Amino acid sequence: MNEELAPGAVAPYPYTGPRSLQAPIDAALRQVVDPEVALSIVDVGLVYAVTVTDKLVHVLMTMTSAACPVTDVIVGDVEAELDKAVPADFKIQVELTWEPSWDTARMSPRAKAFMGW
Amino acid sequence: MLFAIGVLALLVAGIIGGLLRAGVSVPVPSASRWPGQAVLAHAFLMICGFMGTVIGIERAVAIRHRLAFLAPAASALAGAAVLCGLSNLSSWLAAGAAASFVVVNGVLVEHQRAPHTALLLTGAIAWLAGNLLQLLGSQPAAIIPWWFSFLVLTVAAERLEMTRLMRRRHGAAASLHGCLGALLLGSALFSFSPVAGGVVYGLSLVGLSAWLIACDIARRTVAAHGLSRYMALCLLMGYAWLAVSGAAWVAVSFGLPARDTALHALGLGFIFSMMLGHAPVILPALARVKLVFGWWFYVPLILLHVSLVARLGLGLDALGMLRVGAEGNALAIALFAMTMAGSALAWRVKHSSKISRAVHEPH
Repeated sequence: MNEELAPGAVAPYPYTGPRSLQAPIDAALRQVVDPEVALSIVDVGLVYAVTVTDKLVHVLMTMTSAACPVTDVIVGDVEAELDKAVPADFKIQVELTWEPSWDTARMSPRAKAFMGW
Repeated sequence: MLFAIGVLALLVAGIIGGLLRAGVSVPVPSASRWPGQAVLAHAFLMICGFMGTVIGIERAVAIRHRLAFLAPAASALAGAAVLCGLSNLSSWLAAGAAASFVVVNGVLVEHQRAPHTALLLTGAIAWLAGNLLQLLGSQPAAIIPWWFSFLVLTVAAERLEMTRLMRRRHGAAASLHGCLGALLLGSALFSFSPVAGGVVYGLSLVGLSAWLIACDIARRTVAAHGLSRYMALCLLMGYAWLAVSGAAWVAVSFGLPARDTALHALGLGFIFSMMLGHAPVILPALARVKLVFGWWFYVPLILLHVSLVARLGLGLDALGMLRVGAEGNALAIALFAMTMAGSALAWRVKHSSKISRAVHEPH
């Protein structure tokens, strides 16, 4: 549980926490798709950081727009997917931030290829 | 829940008003005053009473502030007031709703200074302009373009946000601002010169249609599957109707009988197509329900567009196509409402046996 990973070792966002949970958490986050863009929130680059400490999974993420009314739905989907991926005694906390604001540099190569970059 | 029923009632009243206008025989109580009011205030009910309220709720949910719900509450009350024959009160409420909505969007711009939030604010100001003109007793011909500008700018802002995911073409921002500037100029011109207003307004819609087809992610997401493809098809068909509407606004300026096309290619073909596309995503956010998406979502969508072609494309009043098309339009909206309700119910049934073990921290 105390084994730490270098930030961003696998996923395109900093991950801090036990190595055993990194892959399932990343896979869970990739299950959350924004249907408007047909891409996962990881590919769009909405996930800023994941930190797992002391039975708590903390996800720092953003949205492309502050005017987006589906924010709560996406946050709920993130919680639901993580709920399936992490042990039952872990709490899940999703924090929204607008700083720094999202930009296209955060998109994954797959996302950019899909959008014709 | 009561609010949702009220908003739905405004939509139904607006549709009944539209059907009666199109010459459809609708079984409404003859002694009641509201059907007559619904006929007179069809555009007001659809744009300010229904759309304005739904968009107001959408924005209030996004900025997470209770006071932001004042705008949709006032616009819904404005719709109810006009049905009760209280036109003056309705106009004041509508102006108050739009003014509150301008403030809400101003807060949003403070929150996120970006081109798309600035456009949302501009759309709110367009709505306020239309509602103030109504309060001052202007003719519908001068008011309705402002109301449509509110909706078009709101859609354009939301699409602009999405187009950020694509590599922006050279001159794309300038051409969009040119189109939307012309839209506002056209809206303003209607009060002074309906002919010039119609030409500028129509050309701006055609230009915006071309911009959206060229720059929107829908051309990419239409290659995806499921809900994403459905949404992209709604968008692309809507953009085609936007161009048809623009051409019709110009045609009306030159005296051609295309007024129904100008109004309904825009209101139904473009705006309602956007609504059908986004409702499966937005409704779960507003009503806190989940939906099962499936092929059945295409049934009301196809009916909406086919009936619109029948109504506008085959626009031969002598054959009663206006009436038949309007019936098809109303049926498509009713079918869509049933599709949404049925899909929400299907999700509940499908997931009722699963118990979540999530332990959430407040955020």
